[in-house]
Amino acid sequence: MSPLDVVVKEAGPVTIVAPSGDIDMAVSDDVRARLTSLVDRGRTRLVLDLGAVINIDSAGLGALVAALKHARAAGGDIRVCALASDVRALFEMTRLDKVVSVHATREEAVAACASS
Amino acid sequence: MTSDADQLARMRSWLWTQLVGQSLPLEECRRVLVAVGEICNNIITHAYAGASGQPIAIALSVFPDRLIIDVEDEGVPYDRRGYAPPDLDTVPERGMGLFLVRQSVDEVAFDVARPRGTRWTLVKYR
Repeated sequence: MSPLDVVVKEAGPVTIVAPSGDIDMAVSDDVRARLTSLVDRGRTRLVLDLGAVINIDSAGLGALVAALKHARAAGGDIRVCALASDVRALFEMTRLDKVVSVHATREEAVAACASS
Repeated sequence: MTSDADQLARMRSWLWTQLVGQSLPLEECRRVLVAVGEICNNIITHAYAGASGQPIAIALSVFPDRLIIDVEDEGVPYDRRGYAPPDLDTVPERGMGLFLVRQSVDEVAFDVARPRGTRWTLVKYR
């Protein structure tokens, strides 16, 4: 499995997760595990900053969906932000943009997540 | 490449360098990249059932009006009976790969009438 560089920061009740590189089949299990682990430790309000993600594939999207369902089942949510145009196109193609809240900036996503 | 997920990034890098010189809009190059990546995912997961080190051959053919990308494996032949389009309303975690392929290129064909494996042919018109 390829390593995935992920920066995790806490902003009050919100946890910001910022992976960089590609979220593909090579790292999708890792992404899913990291996100669900945060939820299991009580960090149920997550902002996923995808600003440094260049490519994402169906396995990566599936990992996000799994984590999203896990967070919502725990009473939380995952919001995404800073999508590159190609990543946004895949969100739209799969209609994931209708299910998950997409924000232009990290600050906007954190504010919305904190007040939800 | 071989059937190892950690080779996908290298494949994308190679294919990208091939595509960007073909007078195709970058957005369309990205879509081809998505389609080929998903075919490779499918091969790794289904044709080779996760076994590593198995061959996946990718070839790009350039014509004035279109690009053709052939992706070949030597694994279990693709069985279209196992495919069902994803119900996007249910927000599926799986099964979106071939859907994304079909959304990303203009034509998708597969050939299983061969000694081993499947040859996928993707067509992108200019």
